[in-house]
Amino acid sequence: MDIIGKGVTRKDAWEKVTGQAIYTGDHKETKILHVKKVISPYGHANIKNIDITKAEKVAGVRAIITGGNLPLTGEEIRDRYPIAQDKVRYHGEVVALVVADTPKQAKFAADSIQVIYEPLPVINSPIDAINPKYPLLHPDLDTYKKISEVFPEPGTNIANRTKIRKGDIKKGWQESDIIVEEKFSFSPSDHVAMETRCSLAEIRADNKVVISSSSQAPFMIKRLISDYFGVEIGNVIVNTPLVGGAFGGKASVQLELLAYIASKAVNGRLVIVENSREEDILTSPCHIGLDATVKLGCTKSGLLKIAEMTYLWDGGAYADKATDLSRAGAVDCTGPYNIENIWCDSLCMYTNHPYASPYRGFAHSEVLFAFERTMDSLSKKLGIDPLELREMNAILPGNSTPTQVQLNSSTVGNLPKCISELKKKMNWEEGQLVKINDNTIRAKGIACVWKTSTIDTNAGSGVILTFNPDGSVNVISGVIEIGTGTKTVLAQIVSEKLKMDIDHVKVQMEVNTQSTPEHWKTVASRATLMAGRAAIQAAEDALLQIKQLASIVLRAPVEDIDLGQERVYLRGDPEIGIPFNQLVYGYKYPDGSAIGGQIIGRGQYTIPHITNLDPETGAGKPGPEWTVGAQGVEVEYDINEYTYKIVRAISVIDAGKVLNQKTAEGQIMGAMSMGLAFGGRETFYFDNFGRVLNPQFRTYRPLRYGENPEYICEFVNTPQLDAPYGARGLGEHGLLGMPAALGNCLSLAAGIPLNQLPLIPELIWRGKKGSRL
Amino acid sequence: MLSYNFEYYKPKSIKEAIEQYQTSKSQDKKPLYYGGGTEILTLGRLNYIYTDAIIDLKGIPECKEFGFQNNELVIGSTLSLSVFEENKVFPLLTNTSKEVADYSSRNSITIGGNICGQIFYREAVLPFLLSDSTVIIAGPSGVKKFLINEIFNKELRLDEGEFLVQIGTEKEYLKAPYLSVKKRKQWDTGYPLLTVAALKKDGIIRFAFSGVCPYPFRSIQMEKILNDKKLSYKDRVLASFEYLPSPILNDIEGSDGYRLFVLENTLSNILSYLGGEELE
Repeated sequence: MDIIGKGVTRKDAWEKVTGQAIYTGDHKETKILHVKKVISPYGHANIKNIDITKAEKVAGVRAIITGGNLPLTGEEIRDRYPIAQDKVRYHGEVVALVVADTPKQAKFAADSIQVIYEPLPVINSPIDAINPKYPLLHPDLDTYKKISEVFPEPGTNIANRTKIRKGDIKKGWQESDIIVEEKFSFSPSDHVAMETRCSLAEIRADNKVVISSSSQAPFMIKRLISDYFGVEIGNVIVNTPLVGGAFGGKASVQLELLAYIASKAVNGRLVIVENSREEDILTSPCHIGLDATVKLGCTKSGLLKIAEMTYLWDGGAYADKATDLSRAGAVDCTGPYNIENIWCDSLCMYTNHPYASPYRGFAHSEVLFAFERTMDSLSKKLGIDPLELREMNAILPGNSTPTQVQLNSSTVGNLPKCISELKKKMNWEEGQLVKINDNTIRAKGIACVWKTSTIDTNAGSGVILTFNPDGSVNVISGVIEIGTGTKTVLAQIVSEKLKMDIDHVKVQMEVNTQSTPEHWKTVASRATLMAGRAAIQAAEDALLQIKQLASIVLRAPVEDIDLGQERVYLRGDPEIGIPFNQLVYGYKYPDGSAIGGQIIGRGQYTIPHITNLDPETGAGKPGPEWTVGAQGVEVEYDINEYTYKIVRAISVIDAGKVLNQKTAEGQIMGAMSMGLAFGGRETFYFDNFGRVLNPQFRTYRPLRYGENPEYICEFVNTPQLDAPYGARGLGEHGLLGMPAALGNCLSLAAGIPLNQLPLIPELIWRGKKGSRL
Repeated sequence: MLSYNFEYYKPKSIKEAIEQYQTSKSQDKKPLYYGGGTEILTLGRLNYIYTDAIIDLKGIPECKEFGFQNNELVIGSTLSLSVFEENKVFPLLTNTSKEVADYSSRNSITIGGNICGQIFYREAVLPFLLSDSTVIIAGPSGVKKFLINEIFNKELRLDEGEFLVQIGTEKEYLKAPYLSVKKRKQWDTGYPLLTVAALKKDGIIRFAFSGVCPYPFRSIQMEKILNDKKLSYKDRVLASFEYLPSPILNDIEGSDGYRLFVLENTLSNILSYLGGEELE
């Protein structure tokens, strides 16, 4: 069998291409009640009055819910009421819910609710947030419940501070001959997954709370509903069908709480809460923004000696996952380089912006934009080729990370090899700037990337295998199929282990938290590692059971029983054997008596040796391994109009081992596309009231098919020894260096530093105008 | 989804449409004439547009007209923009309208809707402003014909109860040299940062603009200067800016200063493409 590595067709392909695939919002049951939201039109305001008298009279209205009597919620700091109470802190915050018989009645009633607001001064950036002259957004910060790994600073707008203190800063500066310092900033933006978020909830007579949700984290929903509302955890059942794109945005728990609250208000009846596109952009959590300062020092020959960074994250109005993002940004606060002396303060700031959820890359593309742009400034100052500078400083086995993890060839990929592959793919010797005609030049920019996944120290994954009477197998895993094809990879792993035709490996796409073994969350490029290991264990467990049964039936020692073509046989005499289908439901002797029974394979995996970070130095092991890569972008740049076209985007990623060529390429290409859109176009525009001016596809524009460049994916294979077949995480990595590579490319083409995102022609024009004056 | 209900009418004649409008009005309703619905539906769901009586013009034969009458190309107001993408009888119109929205939307957006709608770019009007077209407008006081340049001022000046039936363009304009340039904030998707349409007639280049100001316009004064062969292209462009209407748009698509920068480049490029000899 050589199913591993093959571009096997995705198990969810047919139902998706035929339109038969069922997503959360497709469940339209007849007795369902519909929930519509009233959301804040301001970024910061006191709620003076909510008048529901008109709305109450609308036909079909069952309940109207406003703030008050609800618990504070939030994953790390409980600072957010699911429905605003007295005050709104961001544009789009939920102020009221209406439950009605039809969506139209609910919307009409929601539109009839009159809210009087008193606008308050707005914090529109993390730099303002840290300025004591600006208002305090959470005066009660000291009273909020929180987890022990988060460090808010009451009396300020700092929701978390993560410190990285590695080596000796003084020594680092002393040893540096060349120093550069750069500042960066960009606003929050969004994931804009094709499927807007949707949740259903029902509270049954036996106290079961049944939720369906478009989520990456159904098991987290189960825990949080139990924690927040005091529901017995075993009574919470969460269903997740296929998810139509998530990108981290569906790892946050939000609509599920609203659905529960709404259902409770109508005696537990089944309700549905669906986001409109505008609500999905405004109300539900977004992609974090950042203000950054990066200062680097190196020797004359280019050896990095020190990196000093301050990251001020635009966490938005509530902490939720933003504090975790600020921590992840500290863990990999530099690019993938060997730097002995590192100082970093990574601060999660409260602002009056929509609050942040994870976004593909989990703070890494954001940090890397700042860091890799600074590396290019350094290379310019040194007069050293930017790839050479990176190669010279590349992190290697034996080096240590900012959180002082000693790396080996299993825990870090081969960056020098990625760089040399990238050079070939980009025809690097040709030079970074090539004149095409009087108006146009072709420019090349690059960035190096790395990422580990900061996940909960005890996060686990389980897989169950059951069999069908024909001998085929069912794979049951808590991984959510968010479009990454992970469940197809799990099927490949099981197919390989059981030496079974891939078509005989059936995958359960839907997840039900009561009957599906838990997978912590489908995030952080960790599903293949964790569920993959669990799948291997489950297959081995099933196989052992099959062999044990076969050993009785075939009257031979277990060690002599071999496996192939969906049967087991004696290795000494393959003619003596028995097919799977006669074993997986127990074996029936010719006289009718039976032995054994259903084979159920069990597997689980928890990543070992993950630790919390030391609060003073950041030392600790945050994740299992670092995937590395080198990426490039080539643009055609108009030197008169400052417009550009991206012609090529290249990723060389050390994947460890590619398990499915096609889905791996799909992940890298999709991620590159997302990274280019984030780097080149996507952002929120805010006004003085903290309002997002572009919460629609009319004005919020991801990359459209046809605007994409040619994508080139290349893989290096340095195995992670404890991962399935050596495969490293790669779901996010195609994105990580794209904004930085694009920024480096355009800064070179335009001849001015471009340190903001998105990299629109107007930004270049502003820079050019500034440099002319 | 619209949260409000509305009556729907699809009259078969101009007269019936106007009468329906009057009737709805007399019942204290807010009737709206309806073409492709892309604005009424998408802005209606956000409560930016309200109507309780929709009068769909797509059943009126005159509004679906497309062809030559005498020396004129006649275009019915309810033809969708994608029609002109297929039929290139008026290439400037083809080029300008195919940049509006996206393909699926252009299957619905009508030419009349684009010209008379709330979204202020109204790019489909530019070719007609340049070709001194005529418009047929129907209303309670009858069916009348106007020169578009007389009745279009920022928007088509329709009185209560009136609607656009047809646009007529003389043949001689259809094949005139032209160029239509749409510049966006970034890449190929989105509203115009600005759109400039140009048409050369009798040696004179005419210019019409969208996205420069919060309304489309054609400026005779700017055209005079832009055609002044005593000046270099660059000088013509800069001198023409004196006559730009106000305000220059300053919004999330781009600042006013940047728009002028792009406009300068765009006009210079159009001049070198259509202008022939730079200086006499």
